Amino acid sequence: MTKESNTDTTRRLFLTALLLMLPTLALFRNVHVIEKDDLVEVDGWILKRSDLA
Amino acid sequence: MIFQDMAAYRAANFAPRVAIIGGGPAGITVAHKLHRSGIPTVLFEAGGEEYTEESQDFYKGKTFGDTYFDLDVTRLRFLGGSSNHWAGWCRILESYDFEAKSYIPHSGWPIGRADLEPFFAEVYDILGIQAFEPDHPVTDSFRAMQMIKSDHVHFGEKFRDELARSGSIAVVLNTEVSELVGNGRSVTSAKLWSRGADAGEMTASHFVVATGGLENSRLLLWSNERSNGGVVPNAGALGRYWMEHPMYWAGNAFITNRDALKPDADGDAFLIPSVEAMAKLGVPNFHIQLETMPYFGAKKFMADIACRAPEITEWVSKTLGSHLQCTARVHIDWEQPPVESNRVALSATDRDASGVPRIELHWRKGELDRKVLLEGMRLFGEEFARKDLGRLRISDWVRNGDDYPDDMEIAGNHHMGGTRMGSDPATSVVDGDCKVHGMANLYCAGSSVFATAGQCTPTTTLTAIAVRLGDHLARTMAS
Repeated sequence: MTKESNTDTTRRLFLTALLLMLPTLALFRNVHVIEKDDLVEVDGWILKRSDLA
Repeated sequence: MIFQDMAAYRAANFAPRVAIIGGGPAGITVAHKLHRSGIPTVLFEAGGEEYTEESQDFYKGKTFGDTYFDLDVTRLRFLGGSSNHWAGWCRILESYDFEAKSYIPHSGWPIGRADLEPFFAEVYDILGIQAFEPDHPVTDSFRAMQMIKSDHVHFGEKFRDELARSGSIAVVLNTEVSELVGNGRSVTSAKLWSRGADAGEMTASHFVVATGGLENSRLLLWSNERSNGGVVPNAGALGRYWMEHPMYWAGNAFITNRDALKPDADGDAFLIPSVEAMAKLGVPNFHIQLETMPYFGAKKFMADIACRAPEITEWVSKTLGSHLQCTARVHIDWEQPPVESNRVALSATDRDASGVPRIELHWRKGELDRKVLLEGMRLFGEEFARKDLGRLRISDWVRNGDDYPDDMEIAGNHHMGGTRMGSDPATSVVDGDCKVHGMANLYCAGSSVFATAGQCTPTTTLTAIAVRLGDHLARTMAS
């Protein structure tokens, strides 16, 4: 594999990961604290509090 | 023996002891069982060996309440019945499903799973499956279950040769039992409609109604009306407590530990709640289906990378400071509680070609349905996060209590109840042996006898109940 194709692969994977993470952009619209110390519901996502740290 | 119509059958001078009405999974299973016992049996199939528009027209009806499938689309009227469009997913109701729960009105069966277990080996043979693998604990309240995706037996095709060769079973095609005649203690005869014309009456010592989870109610309601209550003497529950398995795409998820979820070869993982969790929430049974590979084309390529190359994704995740790896679509299917007002009724105005009133199906989801949808998703999402299996998002319409969407799968085409099993004739139609309360010789087979629906597809359980009924009839005849 050439250096150029390595760069292309890394760029493609990084772009792929970014696309996969797009839904997380919506995280900060609607924060709802559910009655659990360790969890929080953000725009429908059920997350650990530590996810937001 | 297979006869193409009633005229051909009459010419054979066959004298049956049992008459089975309906050639779908339940009827054919009972016939298969009686064939092995050598008991002379006639099976009436209203349709032929292939689908026809003319036959299917008899299934037209109206629905009231929540959006539901057209009644002539959600089932099939030819040999093999609705197994002809069955997807083949197999699972048997759990022991818990047969028990009464204080928080589910009208729950509880007069039999338990243990009463069906002696027949499981025969069921596996009929459906061409192996015994189910044990469940695997996944979180504190959820375990992964095996949903067997079988080669969807078409009962008419699988058992046609056996039925054709049998000297004790006569299958009469293109012949509908349009009415049973009863005197309040037993059924005395059946009126027939064959090839578009009145075909007289016949009699047998025992009758088994196995026309499907909608049609069983229709035939008995009509017969009871015509016999002034002489077919189902305790008819308070007849047609009522009808149930489905509502199912919706209710969220999405990122998965970080796919292996722990035990997905099958299609990438589907099925998670069911513990008895304690259901009791604590006060909800009926349900299952979460994580469809881990729901995408096609470019989306599938992206999901593939995340799901199948975790080491690369892990590197990218670290770069982004995230632990998220793999995407999934989250479905929830649940046990609709038995509600008296959900019912099959007869139309006062519309009749089919044989003169039988068409069905009016009254069906709505209620508060418990809403509760299990939201609380079930939320409980799973919480434990999913705590165990770091991934993160789940509940769809807006679920959280906001909006109308149920009708642009996705809405139910399983699972027609249950209407002639439900129970000990109390006021709230049930058949007893633990599938015999109609108060009648000496009338039985029901199929998912219409389900007292509650459980969370899983009904075909495996209804086949087990039909094998057990066949065994009961064989023993009754022998004695």
